[in-house]
Formats: sequence, structure tokens, C-alpha cells
Amino acid sequence: MSTTSHEATGSDTPTVKMITGTIDGTDVTVPEGTMIIRAAELMGVEVPRFCDHPLLDPVAACRACLVEVEGMPKPQPSCAVPLGDGMTVQTQLTSEVADTAQKGVMEFLLINHPLDCPVCDKGGECPLQNQAMSVGRPESRFTGQKREFPKPINVSSEILLDRERCVSCARCTRFAEQIAGDPFIALLERGAQQQVGTGEEPFDSYFSGNTIQICPVGALTSEEYRFRSRPFDLVSVPTTCEHCASGCSMRTDYRHENVMRRQSGDDPEVNEEWNCDKGRFAFPYLQLERLATPLVRENGQLRRASWPEALRIAADGLAAARGRTSVLTGGRLTMEDAYAYARFARVGLGTDDIDLRARAASDEETDFLSGEVAGSCGPVYRELESAPAVLLAALEPEEESPIIYLRLRKAARAGTKVFSLGPFASQGLEKMAGSLVECVPGDLATQLDQLDDETAAALSQPGAVILLGERAATEPGAFAAMSRLVQRTGAEWAWVPRRAGERGAIDAGCLPGLLPGGRPLTDETARQEIASLWGIDPDELPATAGRSLAATVAQIHADAKAASEAGEEEEFSPELAALLVAGVEPDDIPNADQFLTALDSVPFLVSLETRPSEVTARADVVLPVAVVTEKSGAFVTWEGRRRPFGTVMPQPTSFTDAVVLALLSDYMDLATPPREVDDLRTELGNLGAWQGSRVSPADVPAGSAQQPGSGEAVLASWRYLLDLGTMQEGEPHLAGTRKPAVVRISAATAAANGVEAGSRVRVSTDTGAITLPVELTEMAENVVWLPLNSPDSQVLVSLGALPGDTVRLERGDV
Amino acid sequence: MAELPPALSGFWVTFSTMFKKVNTEQYPEEKDKYPPEPRFHGRHQLNRHPDGLEKCIGCELCAWACPADAILVQGADNSTDQRFSPGERYGRVYQINYLRCIFCGLCIEACPTRALTMTHDYELADNSREKLIYEKEDLLGPLTQNMVSAPHEMVPGTTEKDYYEGKITEATPEQRAEVAARTDEESEAVR
Amino acid sequence: MSGTKLTPVITEYWDDAKPWSIDSYRSHGGYSTLKQSLETDPDDVIATIKDSGLRGRGGAGFPTGMKWSFVPQNDGKPHYLVVNADESEPGACKDIPIMLANPHALIEGVIMTCHAIRAHHAFIYIRGEVPHPIRRVHQAVAEARAAGFIGKNILGTGIDLDVVVHGGAGAYICGEETALLDSLEGLRGQPRLKPPFPAVAGLYASPTVVNNVETITSVPYIIRNGVEWYRGFGTEKSPGFKVWAVSGHVRRPGIYEAPLGITMRELLDYAGGIREGHELKFWLPGGSSVPMLTADHLDTPLTYEDMVEAGSMLGTGTPMVFDETTSVVKAITRWLEFYKHESCGKCTPCREGTYWITGTLEKFQGGFGQEKEVDELVELCNQIMGRSFCALGDAAATPYPGALKYFRSEFTDALTQPPDDLFSPSATMVIPSPAGVAG
Repeated sequence: MSTTSHEATGSDTPTVKMITGTIDGTDVTVPEGTMIIRAAELMGVEVPRFCDHPLLDPVAACRACLVEVEGMPKPQPSCAVPLGDGMTVQTQLTSEVADTAQKGVMEFLLINHPLDCPVCDKGGECPLQNQAMSVGRPESRFTGQKREFPKPINVSSEILLDRERCVSCARCTRFAEQIAGDPFIALLERGAQQQVGTGEEPFDSYFSGNTIQICPVGALTSEEYRFRSRPFDLVSVPTTCEHCASGCSMRTDYRHENVMRRQSGDDPEVNEEWNCDKGRFAFPYLQLERLATPLVRENGQLRRASWPEALRIAADGLAAARGRTSVLTGGRLTMEDAYAYARFARVGLGTDDIDLRARAASDEETDFLSGEVAGSCGPVYRELESAPAVLLAALEPEEESPIIYLRLRKAARAGTKVFSLGPFASQGLEKMAGSLVECVPGDLATQLDQLDDETAAALSQPGAVILLGERAATEPGAFAAMSRLVQRTGAEWAWVPRRAGERGAIDAGCLPGLLPGGRPLTDETARQEIASLWGIDPDELPATAGRSLAATVAQIHADAKAASEAGEEEEFSPELAALLVAGVEPDDIPNADQFLTALDSVPFLVSLETRPSEVTARADVVLPVAVVTEKSGAFVTWEGRRRPFGTVMPQPTSFTDAVVLALLSDYMDLATPPREVDDLRTELGNLGAWQGSRVSPADVPAGSAQQPGSGEAVLASWRYLLDLGTMQEGEPHLAGTRKPAVVRISAATAAANGVEAGSRVRVSTDTGAITLPVELTEMAENVVWLPLNSPDSQVLVSLGALPGDTVRLERGDV
Repeated sequence: MAELPPALSGFWVTFSTMFKKVNTEQYPEEKDKYPPEPRFHGRHQLNRHPDGLEKCIGCELCAWACPADAILVQGADNSTDQRFSPGERYGRVYQINYLRCIFCGLCIEACPTRALTMTHDYELADNSREKLIYEKEDLLGPLTQNMVSAPHEMVPGTTEKDYYEGKITEATPEQRAEVAARTDEESEAVR
Repeated sequence: MSGTKLTPVITEYWDDAKPWSIDSYRSHGGYSTLKQSLETDPDDVIATIKDSGLRGRGGAGFPTGMKWSFVPQNDGKPHYLVVNADESEPGACKDIPIMLANPHALIEGVIMTCHAIRAHHAFIYIRGEVPHPIRRVHQAVAEARAAGFIGKNILGTGIDLDVVVHGGAGAYICGEETALLDSLEGLRGQPRLKPPFPAVAGLYASPTVVNNVETITSVPYIIRNGVEWYRGFGTEKSPGFKVWAVSGHVRRPGIYEAPLGITMRELLDYAGGIREGHELKFWLPGGSSVPMLTADHLDTPLTYEDMVEAGSMLGTGTPMVFDETTSVVKAITRWLEFYKHESCGKCTPCREGTYWITGTLEKFQGGFGQEKEVDELVELCNQIMGRSFCALGDAAATPYPGALKYFRSEFTDALTQPPDDLFSPSATMVIPSPAGVAG
């Protein structure tokens, strides 16, 4: 990762040989290897197609795209024949042969198709319908009995398959095999009875929803969208996915102020044409119970209040605690909203206590994010694809950033070597044909330092990339160790957060000691730049770096202790008198109990939220804010790429966080900061990236794994993509495709602890215990892995432990 | 002939009219005397199959065809315990806004199942806008003797196709029993 | 042998006591020149086969030597020979008898071919429904291995070869070479997209030669006796001998080995003519996938090119003969039912076309077709012909237009009258059916 932009992304692409052929009498020059159908597209000639998909290997099965090629006795499938130099091709526009061939295939395709378009979800946007209109016969000659199948069957709890409608194009099965690497669906039987089907397992792939989108007929539909709407009802808006830092381009379709479905957008630089099922199906939360009006606490109870009343109370409370307020933004904000918080904290609240990380974090990470990540841009997806080798550290792309996984899988199929530092070779790693470098949690820094020569040599090749996951925050010394590895190998690197808003919030300055654009709070020039931008005196900016979330919680507890010791009659002034909390998920924070008791005991708590939560329940003032569909803004991907999106459904009564903060400023008699997204974006854009010196990360010594005693093991854990996240609520069919929660231990560890294959394992700490079925896995000894936030396995809440901690391990009660 | 005084000439018109054919239609007292023409486009009706299941499949083609955007339909899945129409899908929400409807009949032509037809009912006046948005229960055709109201199961052993081929003629005792049991339950619940 | 055109080579000793045993084969000169041929340069072997003009006997008639020469040399990849013994074509019965009676000639051919194409691994993919030949070829491979013809360092020449006999699972499509390779790899048997052709990327993405049993069986005889000898048989463009399997309404159906260029009239004579009291109606030169011919074509030489000129194809060279008791409608319907059942489903024209055509033909068979459908079927066949993924679609589209050309009236008759009424099913049976069972 570097702070300068890439100038060489285009120039190092290998020179492509161009060839010229003739299509319908017109010369067309295309790169060698371009299929006829693509070349024809470039000229604006649309050849019908079903099985063809630009991102899938050609199969030439549907025969709808037959064209006449000079010198070939038979019509040729244009999806599978590359245009040759000097080749003469005639499509249906100029060739009788091609035209009759295409019409013949279309007629055949329709004989066994049920024509139940009125009830079919694809009706109205169906390639078969459209192409039947353009190249089909007006009337059917077929009078026989159509092949029938029982109507839809579930290939997974979310995906429905109507086999009667299937035209056997094999797009879905090829997608599952070639792109997702989850070949749980395949074509079965033969002849007209050929059908898509599953084996013993359902089609529980994280990317299963894409098959619905690429199905050229209505054979694959989702439980979620089934019969809910028709394409002509829908208003489509291009959006960006809010679920992770992959930054997928998406299309949100709504009707009557309800989101009906979301589909993958087409962005070759980011998600190509794919997205994950979480991004596709996890949107009903937007329509679950929302906060309709502001709430204020009166006599210990929250009651509804008007905006002026609530703003007055909030403004007064915050003004009284000026300089003694902490701001917790959470990782879900848009870049613009995050910037509004960063500014409001420093200008409005006179504090530098601001932290976007509602998760396990460390001071080492703070330094790293401020010094290296903020405002920088690193390797992009395309560079992952062309990298000779990629090292994953504390990152499980399939679970934590699925589009990175898809890109890496594509790259691996073309020869990229993937290495992963982790306790075991996950399914995702196996699907990327990756190699595991065994690493026990806590040991990451040491492993990075002691990387074997073969891996290090692979990473020393030009273009190699190291991807460091957000979980590195719990690995002592990992950031410094990575810097050393980067120096040793010359590899590019990037830091991959999990939440969509984290990277943008870092750029916007939502970290203690970090001003917007990567500017250090302690740097005079930086202070002056920011102060003049914000129209204040540099001295009004906080002088020293503020508190992180952990420090904030600790301070509130310390205050509470001091207050109880001070006794009733003494006037006690706490160090921290107020908290301003945005979308924070307490269950993501280590020691959630302590966090919640801190919320209980802080004198004044203002919460800006979309839905009732554990935070709003404890707040003194709750101010409702807009959800992602009601506002515009931008998320920033792990690459540092801005992904702006527009408002899907404007709601005059719902305000963005930035607007609410601006209103608070008004009520606090401060200068009104910019509140519109465009203004915020322009202001942040004009500021630019910091060119001066940065915080140099402290050289933290490399940590090493704990040594568990008898009956103990080191805890390893990460989240499944589909888990108990609150943004997946309201969609039971999606939840049905979750991976089951299991405990993974090695056979030797199992034997040592009296655990047999098929039995259950109890993992416990002083806080609590989790009991799950065991899955014996080839992995490091004395390490136990379980999903971080799955049903029956909420590690942070139940165990109160973090990966790298030691937990007790025993055979669970059967 | 001498001119009549103007007043009398006026009365002459009145008097002569008394012997002409009366054109006034006595609406509403005598409206049955003047039925609409056979192809008159009146209020819509959502038809039922002969056993009472709804013909509407919620396909929204009527709404798509409507040039006045007067129709709103939302489909839903027939579940195993609640079946409104044969086949997979039924119209969960069906509204026609008669403040918008221009009675062109394109919706009728679009309907793939003959669920939507038009009646001769032209008395579509009311005193609020809300009342002129007709809901599905306002539009559904009357239940005849042979029908029982949906939801209920299809005639045992038949398929969707049999319904469209007209093989179902009336509600079976099973269907009647099912609906009766349901109605009992409901009245029980009300009590 | 004088006075007869029959030239038994492959079939010469089939009346021995146990012609399939290695001893029998060796007593007639088998394996005698194997060492010598393994010591010749592989390219010379390919040249010999090229010069001999041997053409593939599986149906397409592609020159064998040329096929072998497509295999890239010194590419560092393993090479494979796959023998296509998935003989499932209706009417074709020549590979199975060869494997039953003369498996060692096949194995010697495999060894020589592998040497020529530098393969160390050969697979014999035998149709799954025929366990006898599978067992016999297994046995023959074991015998050859015991005799040192297969294994490490064959006959001290330093050549290694392993031969695997693989039984199919019952799919006609697996006779298509790329589908066969998929099946052999453990996948579902469906044809692969070409290019790449098997000679470049076949089995396990390595250069592979796929040859028919009869083709490979001919190889040792050519190597042993020379190009001149081989070219002494047959015609200029279709040299060599061929195993003709004559079946149908003839007195003595069976295997007749004769040079290419023999006429059907001569073959019919050897087969004893049409059965007593009947006359020829139509015949097919090679399986159901080639257009039918009539008595007018009896004097056309059976060569690859003459058959094409006559409007048919030599195909597998297994003539099927039908007399006047046969209903063309029923025959065609049977074949189409077969193709519908065997269509793999991959491509639209074949999958849907066979479904549609069969449905219409079944109506004809029931005597209730519609007049427009007689010509509509030709259109449908044209919609399949040349547009399907592999040759199965073409094969399925072949019988009907050919039949309509000569027997249109039978199809128009079937519009009103079931063919069973016009052609007694029992009269057409070669073997009388049990009472009450209609053909």
C-alpha cells in the first residue's frame, strides 16, 4: 500500500494481438481470442444466446447463437468460436442459414417450456421471453404433450428450482463450479429429462443467489422475492452494498417504499457481475421495526418526543459535557457521515475521543491505521487477479470479504498461489487451491517473521500481495511484523476490514489522534489545515490524542468507581460526562457486559440509531437516522476505492447522521457545519490526502501463542458470512443456508481431551460455555476453533474470550 | 291568422308537448327498464372457479395493461394451509381505483385466466376517495350455491390444468367440510 | 478362396476350438512380429499406417494414420490410447464379435498403436451392457500380460505399457469420443466442446487417440503383411478389408469379411439372400444413423465415397436388410425412440428435437397423424441436422428424411391407419414371437 496513487496500472498490461474479421459485411478489429458473439456485440449486432455468459467458460450447449462462418459447412456457435483474422461471419441479419438455425433452436426451446409466464418471477425481464419475441415463431407448431415436473423444489432453503422452465443452459451449474467453487448443483438425467439437481447436500453456497440472476429463464427463483412483484413494478436504483468492505456494486429494486430485491451490479473493477447472498438477500432488516420519532428519557422511561424537544435536550446535555464527551461511531457509517462525526467531535464537542471500531482493537492498530492506512490506496482487485502470490493473514476471505474470495479464486484458477496464515485450511482456502501456513492465534507476528523461504520467495515476486485482516488487531506485534515482511519481500499490501464503513471512517478521521485525510492531530501543519477548513482556531482543536473505545469504557468505569467512593454529598465531576453513540453493536465488542454497564453509568448518553437496540434502550436521548436506502453517500472498499451511491427511497422525515449532527450544532449555537452529502464529500475531497509525516507505528515486539495447559486449548474463531448479524434479521430463508456451527479440533487434541468423532465438545471459560458437535479437522494441536457469532456459538458473549485466549476443552454432555 | 298573444303562444308549446313521447328515463326508480347494452363496460368482477377458488393468479398483467394506472396487484404463494387459487400463485392484494379507471377494458384483455371481467354495474359514485378504491373482497364475484369461499383445498386428485379445462363443476363435500370447519373455528375465535 | 470375394483376415480362424486364446492367436502368427515392430521408429509405424490408407471403422472413416500424426510429440505430457468399444449403434454388431473371437489381435494392435503414438497407457472402453466381451478382453489382457506383451519393458524393448479394460454404464452417447473420455474420467458422459481435439487435449487433458476396435484390430495385420498387401484389398480411396455384419431379413445373418468395394448384392448372396418368399424393401449400409437405400443401390460398391454419392454413408459397415413385411413408419419410430432415449440432453436441437419428432412419429404409429406433420417432420429434422453439438443429433435427424424419400405413401397412409394394420407385426419377425406378443 502506498500513499501515492497508482500510475502504472494500465501500462504493464501485456500487449494484445488485434485481429480483424468481417461480420455482416463490416470489418471489426478485436483482441485475438474474442468470441464471435462478443465481437458482434461490439458492432451492435445482438446474437441470441442462453448458455453464453462472458464470465463463464463457453459450453455451446443451447445452440441459440448459431451463425454462418465462411468455409465452415455447418452453422457455428458464435459463443464458442473465436473470430479469426480475415474470417467472414454472417449473423441472422444477413444469413438465411443463421436465421433459420436460430429460429429452429428457439422453437425447440419452447416446446418443453411451460409458458407460465404470468406466474413466473422472470416474466417481463426474461431472456427467453425477449428472444422468443425477437426470433421465435408467432405461433407454436408443437401440439404434443410437454414434459412435466413437479413445480418448484428447494435446492436450498432460499433457492427454488422449477425444472419445467429450465432450458439446460448450465449457467447455474457452471457458475457453481467455475466461479463459486461450490458444485452442489449439477445436471442430472439425460435427454428431455435432463434437469438441474443437488446431491445429498443442499445448494448452500454463499453465492447461490447469482444463479438466479444469470438464469436466462425463471427456473431459479428465491423464496424471498417469489411472487412479490413484477419487473415492471420495480424502480431500480444503483447502490453499493453496506454489508462488508468488498464494496459490491448493486441494484436495489423497490416498490411502494419497500425494497423487493437486490441484485448484483456489473462492475468489472470490483465485483464483476457477482455478489454474495448476504448482500443479495439480507435487506429485510431495513423494513423491520424502525425508530419513528426521537425519544427522550423522562423519569427513567423513554418517551416519544418532538425533534425540537429532543434536539434541545441532547444539545444541552452535550454542551454541558464539552471536552468530556466520547464519540463511538461504529463501522457502518458512510464516509460522509463519518466525516460529520469526526468534525462534530472536534468542533462541537471539543474532544478527540472518537473511535470507529466497535470490535476488538488495539493501540498498535490505532497507530497502524492512522499512520499507514488512512487516506492511502493500495492494491486493487485487478492486481489481486494478476498477482503471482497472495498471502492472507488473519483473513478468511470467503467468510469476511467474499468478493476478495471470488477474485482470488479466479486468480488461483489462472495460476496465482494463495497462502494463508491460519489454524487450519478452510474450505475457502481449499477452493482457492491455497496452501496453509499453520499459525496458532496469538502467533501471527512470529509466523510473519519466520515465514518459510518458499512462501517468502513467492511473495518476493513482483506484484505479490499481502492481505491483512481486521482480526490482526488481537495479534500482538502483527502490524510491525507485516511491515518487516513487506520490507523483506517488497510485496504490496492491504488491510481488509470487515464492515463497509470502517475504511471510510478512517479516511474521515474517526480515530483518536487522527484528523481527516490521514492528518496527525499532533502535527502543526495538519492542525492548521483542518482548523482553517473548519473555520476555527487551531488551538481550539483538542491538544492530545483522545480515548479509544476501550479507554472510554475504562474511563467511565473509573469515573463510576470514583463517584461511589466520593460519596453522596461531594460534588463529583466525572472525566467523561457524555457519550455520543452511532450504530454500535454491543455484541461485537469484547466484554460487551462492561460496555453495557458503561452505557448505564455514563451520565448522559445520546444515541443516533435506525432501529431499537441495546444502546437506544440505555440512551437519554435517541435520535432516529436514515437507513442506507434512505440516504446517499459512499462506502470505501478495503482498496481505498470510493463507492458512492444514491438515495433509493427518499424519505422527507428521515435524516442522515450528518444532518442530525448539524441540527445539534445549531441547537448548541455553533456554526452550522455542512450537512448535505455533496458538500461533505466536496469538503473532504478538497482536503486531499496528507502528504506530511505520519505517525510511525511503534515497534511492538512480536507476540507468540499462549501455551495451554492440560484440558485447555487456544481459542481460534472468526465469523461465518451468514451468522447472527443484526443486518441479516428478517430473512429466515437466508438463515437456512448458514453453515452449521461446529467445534473444530485436531484428532490428537480430541484424543487428549477424551473427545471422539461424532461427540459434542464443551468449550468454556469462567464467563460461560459453548457446547457444539465436534468436527475433527487437520489443524494445529491444542487449538480449538468455533464460529464467532453463530447460533449456539456466540463466542464474545458466551465465553467472554477473544481468539488467542486460552479456553477449557472437554467432552460435552451428550 | 292573427298572431296569438305571446303568453298564449308560450303555453301552446307546453300544451303540444303533452302529447309527445316522453324521453326522460326514470332513474333510479325505473332503472331495470333500461339495462345497459350487452357489451357495456361496467365495474370489474374477479371471477371464481366453479368450486369457489379464485381465478386470479396475481400476475399483475392487468395492472401492466392499465393505461390509467388504476390497478394494484400483489401476488403471493398459495401455501399448504391456505389456498386461494389452483396452482402456485394468487392475488393477495387486488385494488382498482375507480377514480382513475377509464373503463377501457384493456385489463380484461390482458387477463390470462379470465379472472377479471366487467359487469354492467355503473353505479360508481360515493362520497370519499377511499371508498372508490375497491378491494379484492369488493370485486370478487358472488358465491353461488355450488361454491364455497376460498381459502380451501383444490378438488382432490385434480390439477391446475383440470381447472382450466373446466373439469371442476362444483365444490366437493370435502371442500365444504373444510370451509365449514374453518368458519366454525373462526366464529369460535370471535366468541 | 477362389471364386469368393470374402477375404477372412481378422475372422480367419474364428472356427478354431478357442480362437480367443493367446495360443490360438500365436499359432496363426500373432505377436510374432511384435518385437520387431516395437523396435522400429514410431514415426515409421505411423507412416506405414498412413500409407496403408486405413480409415477409421467407427463410422466417420477418418484416416487413421493422420489422426495419429496429430498427436504432438515431446510435449512432456503423457499420451493415451483409448479404444472405443462402446458399440451401441442399432444394427451394428462387429466390434463385439471381434472382441469375443479375436481379442488378441485387438491387444496387439493396441500395443503397436501405443508404440506409434508414444503412449504408455491404453484404455479399452467396452459397452457396459455386454459383459461377455468385457470378461473376454479382461482375460486376454491378463494372458498378454503374463506373456510379457504388456507391462514393464515389453519383450526387452524398454517399452512400458499398461492396458485398462473399462466397462461403460450404458449410454449410446459414450460412443462419441469426447463423451467417452468424460465417462472414462468419471464424469457424466456428455460430448466436449471441440477444439481442443482429443489428439491435443483428450483424456486428463493430455494428447489422446481414440480409435474403433476394428481399426485397431486391423493394425497388426497391416504391420505384419505390409502396405502393399493391405492396399491389395479394396479400392484406391477405401483400401483394405472390412468386417461386414449383415443382419435383418436375410437367410444367414452374420459376419462376412470382405474388401471395401464389395457390393450389397454380393454380400446378400453370401448371406443367403432375402428370406424365403420375400423381397428386399430397403437396406442401410451401416447402422440406423445412415440414410436408407433400396434395391436400386444393390450394385453400388460399398466404399466410403460411393455410399456418400448414393445418398447414404458407409457408417459402421454393418448392413441392415429389411423385406416388404417391414413398416417403414415403425422402423423409423423405433430408431427415433432410441435416439430420444439416448440423447444426452446437452444441446437443444437434439434434446428437444428427438422429443418432438418421436412424439409425432408415435402418433403416426397410432394412425392419427396430421397431414402437415409429414413435411413438418422434415423441417424439424433439418432444424437438428448440422446444428446439434455432436453427431448424435445428426444421426437422429437422418432416418426420417431418407425414409420419406422412398416411402412417402407409408407415412401418408399412417395418417388414417395404424401401420400395424397394414404390416402384420408377426410377419416381420425374424424369430417368431411368443403367442400374443405383437412386434
